[in-house]
Amino acid sequence: MTGYFEDYITVAVFAAFGALLVAVSVGASALLRPKNPSATKSQTYECGIDPVGGGWSQTHVRYYIFALLFLIFDVEAVFIFPWAIQLEALGMFALVEMIVFIVILLAGLVYAVRKGVLEWES
Amino acid sequence: MFDYHAIAPELILGVTLIAVVFIDLILSDRYKYLVGVTALVGLTAAAFPLLTLAVCGDLSTCADTGSRVLFGGSYVIDDFALVLKGLFIVVGVITLLLSVGYIESDDYYQGEFYFLVLASITGAVVMASSRDLITMFIGLELVSGPAFLLAGWRKGDTRSNEAALKFFLIGVLSAAILLFGMSLVYGLTGEVTFTGIAAASAALDLANEPAFVLAVVFVLVGFAFKISAVPFHFWAPDTYQGAPTPVAAYLSVGSKTAGFVGLLTLCYQAFGPVREIWGPILWILAVLSMTVGNLVALRQTNIVRLLGYSSIAHAGFILVPFAMAATYDSVGLEDAFFGTVTYILIYAFMNLGAFAAVIAISARVGSGEIDAWGGLGRYSPNLAALVTMFFFALAGIPPLAGWFAKFVMFRAVIGAFSSPWAIVLAAIAAVNAVIALVYYARVVKTVYMDPIPEHADADSPTVVAPSLKLALAITAVAVIVVGFFPQILAFFGDASRALASGM
Repeated sequence: MTGYFEDYITVAVFAAFGALLVAVSVGASALLRPKNPSATKSQTYECGIDPVGGGWSQTHVRYYIFALLFLIFDVEAVFIFPWAIQLEALGMFALVEMIVFIVILLAGLVYAVRKGVLEWES
Repeated sequence: MFDYHAIAPELILGVTLIAVVFIDLILSDRYKYLVGVTALVGLTAAAFPLLTLAVCGDLSTCADTGSRVLFGGSYVIDDFALVLKGLFIVVGVITLLLSVGYIESDDYYQGEFYFLVLASITGAVVMASSRDLITMFIGLELVSGPAFLLAGWRKGDTRSNEAALKFFLIGVLSAAILLFGMSLVYGLTGEVTFTGIAAASAALDLANEPAFVLAVVFVLVGFAFKISAVPFHFWAPDTYQGAPTPVAAYLSVGSKTAGFVGLLTLCYQAFGPVREIWGPILWILAVLSMTVGNLVALRQTNIVRLLGYSSIAHAGFILVPFAMAATYDSVGLEDAFFGTVTYILIYAFMNLGAFAAVIAISARVGSGEIDAWGGLGRYSPNLAALVTMFFFALAGIPPLAGWFAKFVMFRAVIGAFSSPWAIVLAAIAAVNAVIALVYYARVVKTVYMDPIPEHADADSPTVVAPSLKLALAITAVAVIVVGFFPQILAFFGDASRALASGM
């Protein structure tokens, strides 16, 4: 059992160095950099464009259905990538399997469209 | 060539699921009941491959006989799986028959309701065959996921919302505990298939490994929530009461049986070599479930809550032979397994029948409170007779089916084996059977002897939806015929014995 716990020393040393690295880099830059605050600099950074609204702004509840549909097809993509790489090796069987899978998902999309899920106004 | 015959029931159910969605899209509101009819046709069609699989040995076109092993041992179609799949399909048919009239009279979505019931049944059918942890978990989630939605079907009703939320939170909690246990099992044995786990736990002598004990306990607790065994039962009465009554019927039979199937296959196959871990736990669960379920049921005034506590007590009775299995040798072990499966089969018909009668009477009287049922025997004698029959069957009074379930239970506990624990357990079960009779008989007494309440509408004719009539007829015939000829269902229990013989 001691060998088992000795392995954790590596983890502990690694964690200590990680913490030290952050402390040194942030501490050094705080000591060296010029301090010149402005309103623009303290804005929330949101991929470059000006942020809209506050941090606690509300999102319309209808988005959750779009999120669900997105999730379904996102997972579909996760399955398709490894399938596409191995398709030549797996052959016809895999092609039919994936067609069945996509048709079942499309049935769900048709259902969603027919039930008016994708219409914003109701 | 892949053995498509073996998974034909699942394939038919899968195709029916998609067909149900599309038919729901085409139909106008007036014809929505046809969605339910489609689901019924699909379920019935799925039963045929079960029959051909069962008699495969006698067919000239069928090469393979015996149990079929698919996906590297993860999916096994043996007699146990076939019997339980058949039961789930019958439960699905009766649940749909209960729902058709009930959901139509409600002002909520109909098509989706049938879809979700069918999806849940499909999950249960998958569970009956699954012989590895991952397939079993997916099957279990497919049973529970649609059930969460079904419990909250009447979304304008706060009780229904409470039912769904409680069921969902407890269901997620139990899934998390179950998964944690499963991950520990996998971590310690390196196997996910049940046979692999059994071999590895015996080879590595894991019975004395604390982490493995913890893993088995977590898995048991996860399933104990599903079968609503005390002390993991809090959700059940509230959920049954708030959910639409046909859904409560399904939860107390279909979903609960799915939990038992998981527990049975896991304990007998995967945890077979470590019986000394799960035996005592199931003993305690059985005693607590019987006693608490029955004692609390005595105080109930709402009929659905009463059936909720009664189903908790029956979960205890089903666990009784199972609990003693840990101390048995191979013959007694098979008897215990036979006792559990037979009890489940009979309980399914009795309880579905009881719920069908409750639905019919609640619609007639307009209330689920037992007090409002006074004098029902005078203005609606047929319904009164039916509820009497099903409640006496649940109590275990001969010649109705329930007596045989109790008989095989007691025989499995004290017949093959005499240990003080077995005798104590049998004594507690016997006392509980008497307590149960009190509250079942109290309902019958109200129905026949109490005066008709003043505001009761005793003059209008009794109308029962045709589908509900059919459900009542099926369950009533089953309860009476099995009472006189118990070998009909015992045959299926007997067929499934082989699962326990491997140990």
